Amino acid sequence: MALFLKEKKKPFVLIALILFQFLLISVQLPLGSERNYFEKAIFSIFSPVQHGIIYFFHSIGNLWKSYLDLRGVKSQNQKMKDEIFFLRQENLLLQSALQKLKKEKDIQNSLSELRENILLAETIGLDVSNFLKSTMINKGSMHGIKKDMTVLDEKGNLAGRVIGPISLKEAKVQLITDRESGVGVFSKSKGVSGLLSGDGNGMCLFNYVLATNEALSKGEEVVTSGKDGIFPSGIKVGRIISIVKDGSLFKRIKVEPYFDVRHLNRVAVIMREPMEVF
Amino acid sequence: MRDFIKIILSILIAILLYTTLGKIFPYLIYLFNFFSLVVIYFAIRKEEVLGACLGAACGLIQDSLSLGVFGVYGLAKTITGYLAGYLSKKIDLLSIFRIFVFILFLVSVEFILWMLLYSFVFSEKISIGKGILLFQPLSTALLGSFIFSILGAKKRSTRG
Repeated sequence: MALFLKEKKKPFVLIALILFQFLLISVQLPLGSERNYFEKAIFSIFSPVQHGIIYFFHSIGNLWKSYLDLRGVKSQNQKMKDEIFFLRQENLLLQSALQKLKKEKDIQNSLSELRENILLAETIGLDVSNFLKSTMINKGSMHGIKKDMTVLDEKGNLAGRVIGPISLKEAKVQLITDRESGVGVFSKSKGVSGLLSGDGNGMCLFNYVLATNEALSKGEEVVTSGKDGIFPSGIKVGRIISIVKDGSLFKRIKVEPYFDVRHLNRVAVIMREPMEVF
Repeated sequence: MRDFIKIILSILIAILLYTTLGKIFPYLIYLFNFFSLVVIYFAIRKEEVLGACLGAACGLIQDSLSLGVFGVYGLAKTITGYLAGYLSKKIDLLSIFRIFVFILFLVSVEFILWMLLYSFVFSEKISIGKGILLFQPLSTALLGSFIFSILGAKKRSTRG
């Protein structure tokens, strides 16, 4: 009898667990731009797990490297790497400023402020359902991270923007390769504007270019326009790799982004409000 | 108590593999579902309730690591864990080929469930990572059958 009851209990446990998961999913739906408190709470609990693992292995790796390397050379190397990193970001934004033909003094002032407003972060998580959709960085509200801050790769190319949820030490970044992303862009040489979004397979689509527009060509560079009110203008995004006329009102233009998700280990977060950058 | 420690260690190894491989080469996390192997292994060794509970726990952890909606992996893995525990009592899993087919079946069920739930929740097509994701059941089953045959997935006392 006891065995019978025990056997009967098992399906009930399964049903209870399934109902719990359904409840859990339904609490989070519909998926909107604003994250609910439940999702924020869960994110705050679990995101430190990844953070901890990455930190732990970095620590072990660093210990081993320190043992092998000369300490002075190592720290010098790191300083130089950081310097290059910041110089790349500065260079990028300097180009952007020059394009706007600002006065030299204004540019100098902006540059000195800029270094203080670039935050170096490391990626600590990938979205297994689609790693081209989002990633997680090891900096959060404690470091001044806010929603919609621009995220660049090591070379200063656009990678994405900060979206919620943001915990104390972690934040989620929507990549430009996400289908749901949207970046105001224009072609660098011809100045054709459009809206860039991910195609879900690692490439981006340059949307809303009329089929009658013949100005664009393969190989042309695409940069941010700043018209979306989120991303500063002049940031390098990618290069056009194909232009197809499929009979619709708009051309189907594929853009290969410059940033590579496989090498997205260190990123730069522009800490100021997008429109304040320059 | 020893089993509990083994389960915790296995989950930690799965998290470790997931996190580190994802950093080295993201496509590898499309290919291998380490959490499913943990769930199936302990469900075979113990029984279906533990499989379901472990499936729910591992699923929620994977949901948290994949930055998606909580419960999508959880639900799929709960069912997989229960099925693994239940079916393993009925099937003799002593040969490596049978273990392979068993894992392939379970991971495929989980994969289909996950795809259906994902499509429902996100209302979008899943990025199959240049087709790599479709190989997940096969590659996970290959890896799993190799590991299970080394570890001895089924307890001798429950054979038959």
